[in-house]
Amino acid sequence: MAKLWAVIRREYVERVRSKWFLIGTFLGPVFMLVITVMPIWLASRTKATAGLTNIQVLDATQSPIGARVVSKLAAIPLEGGGGAAPVLKTVPVDGLVTAEAAATKAVMDKEVKGYLVLSGVAPAEVKVRYAGRNASTVNDMQVLRDAVRTSVLAMRLEGAGLDPAKISELTSVRVAMDEEVLDDRGRAGGGSGKGSIIVGYLVSFLLYMMIMLYGQNILRGVMEEKTTRVAEVVVASVRPDILLAGKVIGAGAVGITQQLIWIFSGVLIFSQRVPIMKAFGLGELPISMPTIGAGFLFVTLLFYIFGFLFYASLFAAVGAMVSNQEDAQQAAMPVTIILVLSVIFMQPLLLAPNGNMARIMTLVPSASPVLMPLRMSMVDVPAWEIALSLALVAAACAVSIYISARIYRVGLLMYGKKPNMAELIRWIRYAG
Amino acid sequence: MGGLAVDIRGISKRYDQHVAVRELSLEVPTGTVYGLLGPNGAGKTSTIRMILNVILPDTGQITILGRPNTDEAILDRVGYLPEERGLYKKMKVRDVLRFLAELKGIGAKEANRRIDEWLERLALKTAEKDWGNAKVDELSRGMQQKAQFIGTLLHDPDVVILDEPFSGLDPINAQALKDTVVELKRRGKTVIFSTHLMDNAERLCDSVCIIARGEKVLDGTVAGVKAEHAGRFVAVACDNANEPAVQAIMRDRTLVRNVDDQNTFFELEMVPGTDPQLLLTRLVEARAAIRRFELVQPSLHRIFLEKVGATGVEPGMSGHG
Repeated sequence: MAKLWAVIRREYVERVRSKWFLIGTFLGPVFMLVITVMPIWLASRTKATAGLTNIQVLDATQSPIGARVVSKLAAIPLEGGGGAAPVLKTVPVDGLVTAEAAATKAVMDKEVKGYLVLSGVAPAEVKVRYAGRNASTVNDMQVLRDAVRTSVLAMRLEGAGLDPAKISELTSVRVAMDEEVLDDRGRAGGGSGKGSIIVGYLVSFLLYMMIMLYGQNILRGVMEEKTTRVAEVVVASVRPDILLAGKVIGAGAVGITQQLIWIFSGVLIFSQRVPIMKAFGLGELPISMPTIGAGFLFVTLLFYIFGFLFYASLFAAVGAMVSNQEDAQQAAMPVTIILVLSVIFMQPLLLAPNGNMARIMTLVPSASPVLMPLRMSMVDVPAWEIALSLALVAAACAVSIYISARIYRVGLLMYGKKPNMAELIRWIRYAG
Repeated sequence: MGGLAVDIRGISKRYDQHVAVRELSLEVPTGTVYGLLGPNGAGKTSTIRMILNVILPDTGQITILGRPNTDEAILDRVGYLPEERGLYKKMKVRDVLRFLAELKGIGAKEANRRIDEWLERLALKTAEKDWGNAKVDELSRGMQQKAQFIGTLLHDPDVVILDEPFSGLDPINAQALKDTVVELKRRGKTVIFSTHLMDNAERLCDSVCIIARGEKVLDGTVAGVKAEHAGRFVAVACDNANEPAVQAIMRDRTLVRNVDDQNTFFELEMVPGTDPQLLLTRLVEARAAIRRFELVQPSLHRIFLEKVGATGVEPGMSGHG
């Protein structure tokens, strides 16, 4: 035990002391700050530019939609006081071509910035087109799109028999538009839906990053021990499986340390977000501090530990198999691929957290450590699924450690050519 | 003292294509300096790794100081210097050494004290510069070898195993190593080292074992081995050695088993059971101009060549001195 402790300590201390750790730990919160502040900052830039409303609205739908859009646009606060209000032109369906030609000329003569064409059947099938000098300005288009969308939505709601006063109250809030996009993702979550998904996403991504970075770090460490022949002195003093365990635990502990620093600084930054936002000249964040349950944290920690042990021992085995960098990259490929696969499944999981794909992938041991925390942050995962997933990943972990320890033991003293599959199986079977 | 430091009973080790060690048995008495001699590829390193339980023999048992070598506690009393040396390059010398000591069960505090002692002793810590605080890769090759040597001895092992310790050493470090080996022996420690350099072995070892192609060729005390072969080796210096008559005698395989022809100097090995006097008589009869005729103790090198034979030695591997 004292020897295991010595190995763990060396691994931990040397890694924590390294420049790599310092840089990574420092850049983590900076990264976090950036991704917290950036969307707000970008959102604050999304003010309509001056003259945005100086457009014509050609309404060929024979419905009040055009009038609604115009009043919406007129109500938008504009930078620099705004310009002329949009001009509504109601045109018959067959007069659209002539109206458009006239509008184009108006744009060319710099009378207006552009024109918005509404056609089709309102509110069921409104076709929207915009032509103008600012058609490639993302923010302006966003504002126009929002105005049309809100108007269409309001008309539909009215058609469904809702109180017009209530509708204008509901649709005048821009965030309300976002809610429609979020429905599929957030509704079932409970708690502070959006915030907890961000946390879940961050946690999953962090787990993935940690496993990838530290796993490859272990690979390099083992390979270095092997190629510098330190391994031979060390395994003459301590059993290879103890050495393997110590290295993996030590590196894993470094990962946990780094995450704790990040989580702590993340919480700190978040709690101080108002002064920070002010310092950047920004307003209040639209999301509130998500509440994270102790149970979620505990389960996430378990997934991290098992997932890390699973991958780290495999990476260590790869490190022991090879004697140079090129071979290492090639030999690590299968391990890296199954790890990356878990991230690829994040997208389908986000769209349908209780779908079959999500339920299966959160049980597959190679992916569950990354995917389960994300899914748990979105929906209430049944306790038995979490338990089964943990049991499976723990079992997979035991198998991977067993196989890796055997490869490690033999590989550590074998120099030269990378073993092929048949040789590898012989190594695993090999008792000595 | 007394007893065996290392007792190897019939170990074999087979790799995929070849047999590294075949039915090898050795007895290393406690408190001796023991040489494991053999050409490269003879199985020395495999044998040493098996002693250290780094690789497991397919058959046979090994005991160290009376305990099986699978007992981890007994391995804490063994110090090992591998042939290919290496330390963690990015670590401070002091930290590496403490780590190695801790792996042998020495506490950090005690380890620090001993590290200072050793660093001063091997001049790695002087009034001007303490190399203990430098990173390993800042050290010169010679200094790294010293550091590695400290790592081998830091836990004051009873059995010290050195694999090709002289390879790559400059003359000064080689001398320091010899001094240390002698000192370890005086303190009652057992030293086992492998080498293909017979001169070192002959001077340092109490006992030797010669192995070739994974098998033991001979073993015993150096004195015993030499005595066993004494009386059969003759050194002859002769000015007219190119005379056909003289050459004929030298090449007579009923009399001379083996000749190391160095133009005017010959080291001859007599066919067992023949009398060197007969050789002298015949040389005189052939009117050889003899300057010297002496019965000599064979060098270990000579015995090694005789026993292992030219085929057991890869070219350039019989290194003399």
